[in-house]
Formats: sequence, C-alpha cells, structure tokens
Amino acid sequence: MKTLIVLGILALIVLFFIAQYNKLIRLNIAVNEAWAQIEVQLKRRSDLIPNLVETVKGYATHEKTTFDAVITARAKATTASTVADVAAADGMLTQALRGLLAVAEAYPDLKASANFLSLQEELSTTENKVAFSRQFYNDNVRSLNTAVKTVPTNLFSGIAKVSTREFYEVEDPQSRQAPNVKF
Amino acid sequence: MQAANRRKTIGLLAGMGLLTGIVVYAALTYFGSSGVAIVPVAVGIALIGVWGSYYGSDKLVLTMTGAKEIQESDNPKLFGLVQEVCIASGLKLPKIAIVVDSAPNAFATGRNPEHALIAFTTGILDVMERDELQGVIAHEMSHVANRDTLVSAVAATTAGAIAILSDVLTRMMWFGGARRNRDSNSNPLLIVFSLLILVLAPIAAVLLKSAISRKRESLADATAVSFTRNPAGLRAALEVLARDSTVVQQRSTSVAHIWIESPLDSSSVSKLFSTHPPIQERIAALRAMESLG
Repeated sequence: MKTLIVLGILALIVLFFIAQYNKLIRLNIAVNEAWAQIEVQLKRRSDLIPNLVETVKGYATHEKTTFDAVITARAKATTASTVADVAAADGMLTQALRGLLAVAEAYPDLKASANFLSLQEELSTTENKVAFSRQFYNDNVRSLNTAVKTVPTNLFSGIAKVSTREFYEVEDPQSRQAPNVKF
Repeated sequence: MQAANRRKTIGLLAGMGLLTGIVVYAALTYFGSSGVAIVPVAVGIALIGVWGSYYGSDKLVLTMTGAKEIQESDNPKLFGLVQEVCIASGLKLPKIAIVVDSAPNAFATGRNPEHALIAFTTGILDVMERDELQGVIAHEMSHVANRDTLVSAVAATTAGAIAILSDVLTRMMWFGGARRNRDSNSNPLLIVFSLLILVLAPIAAVLLKSAISRKRESLADATAVSFTRNPAGLRAALEVLARDSTVVQQRSTSVAHIWIESPLDSSSVSKLFSTHPPIQERIAALRAMESLG
C-alpha cells in the first residue's frame, strides 16, 4: 500500500514536470509561428512595392527622392535578419511608403486610376496585417518571457533550451507621440 | 471585465440547469411517479437538439438566413479585412458568406473556431468604412473565439426543452394523469406551487436565454477591441447601425440572437426579452475604452 502511494506521488511529480516543460516548448513554438507570420507579411509588402512605385512613376515623374527612399528602405528590409534589424527596416519602409502615398495625393489622375486604387487597398490591408502580426508576436513573446522568468516554469527553461525572446519594437515617430489627454 | 463577463455567463448557464431541475422536481411533486416517464423523453429531445445544433448549425443558419458562401476572388477587400483580424487574433480563416439584403448587419456561426463561418449583408459592406468593417469583423470573430455560437445554441435548446417539458406536463394535468395521484399527494399548497412553476418556467427560460445572449454581445465587443486595439472603429460601426433604421427582411426570432444588431424591431421587444444590449450602452462602453487607450 505504501509503495503504491509513493509511486502515485512520484507519478504526479513527473506529470507536473512534463506539463511545465511542454508549456515552455508550446510558448516557444507560438513565438516562432508568430515570427514566421511577420516575415510572410513583410515579404508580401515588399513584393507590392515595385508595382506601386511603377504606377506612381507613370504619373509623378519628378519625385525621384521619394522613390529612392522607398527603394533603399526595401533593399535594407530584405537583408535584415535579427529581430531588431528587421524591426528597424520595417519602420523605415513604413515611413517611406507613407511619403509615397503623400506624393500621390498631389496627382488627381493617379488617385483616380483603378490600378492605383486597388494597389492602395492592397497596401493598406498589408500594412494592417504587418501591424497585427507584430502585435500578435509581441503578445506571444510577453507570455513566453513571463513563463521563462517566473516560478515554476523558470526552473525548466534550461532543460527545455528556451530563453526570453526579443520584442519587435518599431521606431515610428507617429506612434511615439504622446497621447492627447483631455480632462 | 472579460473575466467577470465569463463568470456571469457560467452563472446564467447554471441558472438554466437549476431551472430544469426545478421543473423536473415540480413535475414529480405534482404527478408522483407517473411524471417520471416524461423526463427522459424531454432530456432526449434536448440532447438531440444540442447535437443537431452542434453539427448542423452553420448549414441550418445559412439556409434560414439565405447566406451564400463566397471565395477570395469574389471580394478581395473583404477577405483582406478578415485575414487582418485572423492574424491579430491567431484564429483560422473562417468561411465567409454574403446575405443579399440592404439592411446593414452581420453574424457568426459554426461549432468551433475550425468550422466557423461569418456572414455579412450587402448593406453593411456598402455603408461601412474600412475601420468600421474591421471592428464588425473583429466582433464576429470574437463570437467564434469565445465559442458563443456553441453557447447560444446550447442555451436555445435548453430553453426549448424546458418549454416542451412544461408544455407536455401541463397537458397531462388536464388529461387525467394527475387525478390518480391526487390522493397520495394531499398538500394543496404544494400542488398549486408546482403548477405555478410549470407555467412560469418557460418564461424564465426565455429570459435567461436573452440574458446569456446579451452578456455575450458585450463580451464580444471587449474581445474585438483586444484584437484590433481600436475601439473607435467598432464604436463608429455601431453608430452607423444605430442611425440606420432598416432591419433585415427575414425576422425569424429563432435566429435573432446571431446578428450583430438585432433584426427585430426594438420598439416591439422590451429590454428584458431583447437578445441584444441597447446599442447606446455598447457605444458608451467602447467610448470609455477609447478614453483609456
């Protein structure tokens, strides 16, 4: 009888260990998947750019600096690999694209063209997807980092080879602005 | 807020269970053992109802609302918007359907997030801006994420089962079933009391069903904001719905609770029986979130 109780307790402890280990692995996989989603969306945006630049060029020939800014930012984004680099390039490209759309505002013919309108819709949905995949990634990193740093899961991070991950932080002057507080 | 809302829903579902128990107890008190036979029948009907709504709810709802499923090439903009919300929530892309109706409205159905379907009227796609539509989609995807489609199906069938049970028992009362046992159960007060419960229970069940649905609407608004982090979009969408006076053509009460805005004319339904919280209350709640954010 006693041995049965001891075995039962041991089994419970083993199950507890497995649960903690699996939780860390699961959270880590979720972060990897969220990261893959960011890459997919950044790639999509990158693929849209040549078409968009060509379309705008057709109407606005004298905006060379704006086009160059977009093309340089796009090239930087394709070579970045670490989280911080990708995030920085992403922020730059977002800025450059905003500049491109601002330029388009000055050309009514361009704004009215069906091709531009569909590209603009595709760009805005892709920008949203990038932003949401970023948000989803950061939420997952937050859960993982909390688990890695708190008891009891922190005791297993070494065995599971899971460590804290980097947040995806974009330098975007627009989102850095202090919110307007009214009383 | 979401945790509190979830607790209230569990409480309401428990209330549903308790109500069923009281009805059964009242039946047994009134009829003695001869009433027992009806209980498994009612429970069986309820189970078949729940099972049917679990597997067939999406198809049934499609037929009842006249929604037609569409592919990405039919409306790339709408698909883009739904994909955005799916990325934000980490949910699988649902099936998307369109109801040809000029009244702006939308609903979600399906037994679990893997078999979800969300539908929009052509009216809502015409009148709403990008951000507003995103808010509406986030609201519908919240119903999917919170498994509201399942909860409301269970609530509806439980309410239905109580109604059937109580109806059958009331009939038995007039057709002799009771007479045999009247001598063995001589307390008249208890009999009157049981009779009251049998009459009032179906009304209580409908009230509970509406309350569950109303809690779920507020919870879905809150979850939607946690997906998009943009309460202003959904708030603007609800304001559009509040201004709009057209209602969806088919007004079957049995599917009323699945729409984002109640298709029934609000003046004819009192607040207690309404499946949706007043739209102004929802707008005010979203405004409060905006001022926080």
